[in-house]
Amino acid sequence: MRTLHLLVNGDRLAVAAPDHWTLIEVLRYRLGLTGTKQGCDKGDCGACTVLLNGKPTLSCILPASRAEGHELTTIEGLRPAHCAAGGEGTDPVQDAFDRCDALQCGFCQPGMMLSARALLNENAQPDRKTIQEALSGNLCRCTGYTQIIEAVELVVADAAGVDPVLPAWQVDRDGEDLPLAPAVEKATTAEGDN
Amino acid sequence: MLRLPPYRLLEPSSAEEAVKLLADEPGEAMLIAGGTDLVPNMKHGLFEPKTVISLAKVEGLEGVSDSDAGLRLGPMTTLADASQNALIIERAPALAQAAGVVAGPQLRNVGTLGGNLMLDTRCRWYNQTYFWRKGLGYCLKKDGTLCHVVEGGARCVAAASNDTAPALMTLNASAVFLGPDGEREVAIADLWTNDGIVNKKVSTDELLIAIKVPPQAPGHHGTYAKLRRRDSIDFPLFGCAVRLDLDEEGTVSGADLAAVALVARPMRVKGVEELLLGTKPGSEAFDQAVEEVAQLAYKRCRPLDNVPGDAEWRREMVPVYVRRALRSATASSGA
Amino acid sequence: MAARDIHGPKPPWGEHFQVIGKGHRKVDGLAKATGDAIYADDIVLPGMLHAKTLRSPHAHAKIKAIRTDKALALEGVHAVITGSDLPECYGVIPWTPDENALAVDKVRFIGDEVAAVAAVDEDTANRALELIEVDYEPLHAFLDPNEALGRGDPQIHEGRKDGNVSKHVKLDFGDVDGGFEEAEVVVEGDYSFHGTTHGAIEPHCAVAQFGADGNLTLWSSTQITHYVQREISKVLDIEPQHVRVIQPCLGGAFGGKSDPFSLEFCVSKLAMITGRPVKMLWTREEVFYAHRGRHPAQMHYRTGATRDGRLTAVDAKILLDGGAYSSFGLVTTYYSGQLLTGPYHFPAYRFDSTRVFTNTPPCGPKRGHGSVQPRFAFEIQLDELAEKLELDPIELRRRNFQGDSTETINGQRITSNGFLECLDKVETASDWKERRGKLPFGRGLGVAGSMYITGTNYPIYPNDMPQAGIQLKVDRSGLVTVFTGGNDIGQGSNSVAAYLVAEELGVEVSDVRVVAADTDLCPVDLGAYSSRVTFMVGNAVIDACRKLRAQIVDTLAATWECDKKRVRLMRGMALDLEDSERAIPMREAFQLTEAACDTLGATGSYNTPKLGGDYRGGAIGASPAYSFTAHVVEVDVDCETGFIGVKKVWCAHDCGRALNPRLVAGQIEGSVYMGIAEALLEDHKVNRFGLHDGPSLLDYPMPTTLDTPEIEALIVESVDPEGPYGAKEAGEGPLHSSIPALANAVYDAVGLRLTDLPFTPAKVLRALREMKSAAGA
Repeated sequence: MRTLHLLVNGDRLAVAAPDHWTLIEVLRYRLGLTGTKQGCDKGDCGACTVLLNGKPTLSCILPASRAEGHELTTIEGLRPAHCAAGGEGTDPVQDAFDRCDALQCGFCQPGMMLSARALLNENAQPDRKTIQEALSGNLCRCTGYTQIIEAVELVVADAAGVDPVLPAWQVDRDGEDLPLAPAVEKATTAEGDN
Repeated sequence: MLRLPPYRLLEPSSAEEAVKLLADEPGEAMLIAGGTDLVPNMKHGLFEPKTVISLAKVEGLEGVSDSDAGLRLGPMTTLADASQNALIIERAPALAQAAGVVAGPQLRNVGTLGGNLMLDTRCRWYNQTYFWRKGLGYCLKKDGTLCHVVEGGARCVAAASNDTAPALMTLNASAVFLGPDGEREVAIADLWTNDGIVNKKVSTDELLIAIKVPPQAPGHHGTYAKLRRRDSIDFPLFGCAVRLDLDEEGTVSGADLAAVALVARPMRVKGVEELLLGTKPGSEAFDQAVEEVAQLAYKRCRPLDNVPGDAEWRREMVPVYVRRALRSATASSGA
Repeated sequence: MAARDIHGPKPPWGEHFQVIGKGHRKVDGLAKATGDAIYADDIVLPGMLHAKTLRSPHAHAKIKAIRTDKALALEGVHAVITGSDLPECYGVIPWTPDENALAVDKVRFIGDEVAAVAAVDEDTANRALELIEVDYEPLHAFLDPNEALGRGDPQIHEGRKDGNVSKHVKLDFGDVDGGFEEAEVVVEGDYSFHGTTHGAIEPHCAVAQFGADGNLTLWSSTQITHYVQREISKVLDIEPQHVRVIQPCLGGAFGGKSDPFSLEFCVSKLAMITGRPVKMLWTREEVFYAHRGRHPAQMHYRTGATRDGRLTAVDAKILLDGGAYSSFGLVTTYYSGQLLTGPYHFPAYRFDSTRVFTNTPPCGPKRGHGSVQPRFAFEIQLDELAEKLELDPIELRRRNFQGDSTETINGQRITSNGFLECLDKVETASDWKERRGKLPFGRGLGVAGSMYITGTNYPIYPNDMPQAGIQLKVDRSGLVTVFTGGNDIGQGSNSVAAYLVAEELGVEVSDVRVVAADTDLCPVDLGAYSSRVTFMVGNAVIDACRKLRAQIVDTLAATWECDKKRVRLMRGMALDLEDSERAIPMREAFQLTEAACDTLGATGSYNTPKLGGDYRGGAIGASPAYSFTAHVVEVDVDCETGFIGVKKVWCAHDCGRALNPRLVAGQIEGSVYMGIAEALLEDHKVNRFGLHDGPSLLDYPMPTTLDTPEIEALIVESVDPEGPYGAKEAGEGPLHSSIPALANAVYDAVGLRLTDLPFTPAKVLRALREMKSAAGA
């Protein structure tokens, strides 16, 4: 048993854990941060991805002490960080995943969104191939990745202030828009009421 | 979830201290770098060390430095950093490529060059859970007396599966180890044995402290080609690195080829340079030499049913990937 | 069928839908995006113990003795149970209960459950497992279905009449022999489909709490809460009203969480013994042993047609490898024949399907249950037929289109049918006419079509009660709560319920809450299987809403002293169409209605009409509506390596009305991905020792972003007369024809007829060589 000094989502925490625990056990069983998911036991699926100094890392095979001295971000950290920076709603990645319905069962998505967030922090305008490469360590069994990549591209398009490329099924449907971000939704509804 | 066996974790801050800790518990202590391979292996009960010595806090094991003697690579340099390092990309492109195709992105952010070089051999009968192996009756490499790759086999043929090893071999790189008796340097090509149980001539009390890549010829070209089922995450089903040195006229003045995921050792294919010397990429002679190299490699490289994928097919892929590697190495030369 | 079951395809208010047909957010999307959503393994209860399972290392063995005393004596161990603690057999199909939570007298595959331990933590439970001693007497293990078919001794399940046969179905319709006599062209061949598994990213997990009041609560990652409740009640001998099963947020299922599983019984029993909550989380390896995936199938097909390409007869013989237990096998065996009779007109059809037991992980329902394998064989035969007749494969399919509002040769009622439009869409989108057969060697296009059920009219246990029930609670705050037994497994069924309520009652989607899959709180729904939820729960939601709507409209009409026809509920407002001054928020409308009618609430139900052919098994495969699909796949075959590169997949799917087209697109894309993955990469099998070939997500290679082709989802809306606003299923149909379309594309690309799945590069390369040498000979 040792006391780990961790910096998790901006909080400095001291937490006791056995030597042989991996980071995911500390996050889920000690800190109650259950947003980090366990899918394969041993580094094969990416569901347990967290950001260690901003880099996607597999918490199910990372000895917990390796996180000491580094900034750790879990899925629970994205929204508070976004709010602390003056943003509304959620991190744009989370919001775009929701708008694109990229979350089906949602189980792989905390890891997936963190990989996407890390990519966008380094490269605000990645092309499709770069997005695919960056997410290639996160298995998703529901979506066929299509709406996930659309979601990341939506963040990219929003940041660039351009219209996202619409998927074929949507092009067929005249005038249908992506659901708006909640803040925008509120503003437009208010306008409509006036 | 699948549990790690309990162990005591030590975190020395210097290489000397790490080596001393290793010597304190002969055979009972293991080193952990990124842990991306050791942790799954421990979860499978393949290793049950009493003590695990983490290299995470050891100073001086990270980074890439450059001198007249060539590049000195810290073994704790992550595979991601190595694949993106400008010096490595320029001087040792095959290594950058190999590091960039190990496993998936998250593993490369933690997995290290040193860890990949020192990777345990792999086998479909070995890299399984304790329950599974017990059901099997174990295997020669761990807890058993039989090899199942070749039914009734008496020799362990688990496969070297480290992508970076063949690249380092074609670069004539060497490894520096620190042991109780001080440092020693060994050519990476001479590091291996053909025993799948332990395929490295490294003592359990030694610590890898540097990888040295000597200066390459001015017209150095290198590449790494990897056969795998998926374009991410997977270990190699076959991997080959090539070096092709071109002189000022663009003629081959040096060449090398090394392969992995065949048998226990990463393997240099001898006789490649002779076939390619003096030919010029783009010429018929070069194309013919490439074909001869491909056929030579096919003759020498005999994959076994040790890792997934049909062994016969993997052998068929040897000349294909050798050809592709050689062509891709010259593609950047404008030839 | 009662009037309550059909509500028509039209918008409830005026000409246009307000909510339906648009890309709304899901009701749980943001909770999932932020990590707030709670899945089974996220549940922690005070004093909770952790349980682990001891599994058989033998593929087939008698259990002579089990000694647990050493395990029980280990500090931190609170209970150890074995088969004798849970002797009652169960099975999801009431006619074939052949499973025990823990093996009673024998084990039937490597990984079969033998004992379970509850301890203070997982490490202690694992150590205790090591201390349990089991004496086995190994028996001959059947790893090959052909051997199991031919040899009945030893029996995997003793005391059955027919050796190791799990189920045999032979049915024929029309004059099959006459049909072949009439045929001017006949194609005949063998096809084989391998085993594949679901691979949901969430491993199975269950948590049980047994209250001092005798009430058992079980949180489980199940996709069918109701059946789990029934089987728990039976095996643990607790009256069902004292068994509460809750499905928390579920991390994927695809059919793999449809059966009641050992861990659900074990945690319940261990909680009862210890008086403490107990959790069991399976490792990924254990999930592979639990399996219930796609049955390996060996198939022989013969198809006859006239010179102008009209089918005259189809004859099929199928051998299914069922693995160690029955699971849904009775249904699988029927489905393997019954679901082929569309979208084409079969004048005569015969199938002879046999499921055998083997000593391998049990097979069950995986996305496209039972019908993906025969579809693979048959759609390749259609391609062969088209070639023989020198017809365009799409044209051949058009000529045999069965039409809508018709009946199949095996007595299935077809209502809406948008298959022709599916063919048109993939033909246009893929530029088929310009490119098929004209691409350079190595590249090619292939087409295939299919149909699938939208729920089954036959409930798993016979009863006359509704298949789906709904309760609505309307609150004076303006909130509407829907209580549904339906299981949202990621497909978005909870969201669909909310969209329907919003459309019907004129409230915003964000003002609807959904409480689902909790047997204490929610009316029964039969669960998320056979693509039934949107259709059946959807109709029940509309039924409930219409009752409430009548109360609200009556109240407003009376209050406003106007004709009821003038009242509209939409976008959060109640309106008088002829007096814009009278617009009030729905909250106010609810309050007025509550004042007039007392506390507001309604129930809704749905049951299928009586369907199916008048013969034994005629109801299996009968569905209130069928979905239709067409795929075009483009491949690039690397003739040096044998790798098949899938460049693009166009999938047009007739889902009736697309309630939320974005969710439909997601189901199409996910289905295509899964089909292509099965065809090219995945292979669920055992090795020569009966051990799983690689029970991990490393060795069972599910595609990454870099291995998934570009997928173009095309939505066809045939608008069904009986679906909720005309909707049909979208979750399983779009998988089927992806695989034969891929095989047909390879034929177009290199002239190679692949009939033996999976299409590994080794196999492809070998076949290319053989083809070349045959051509040279």
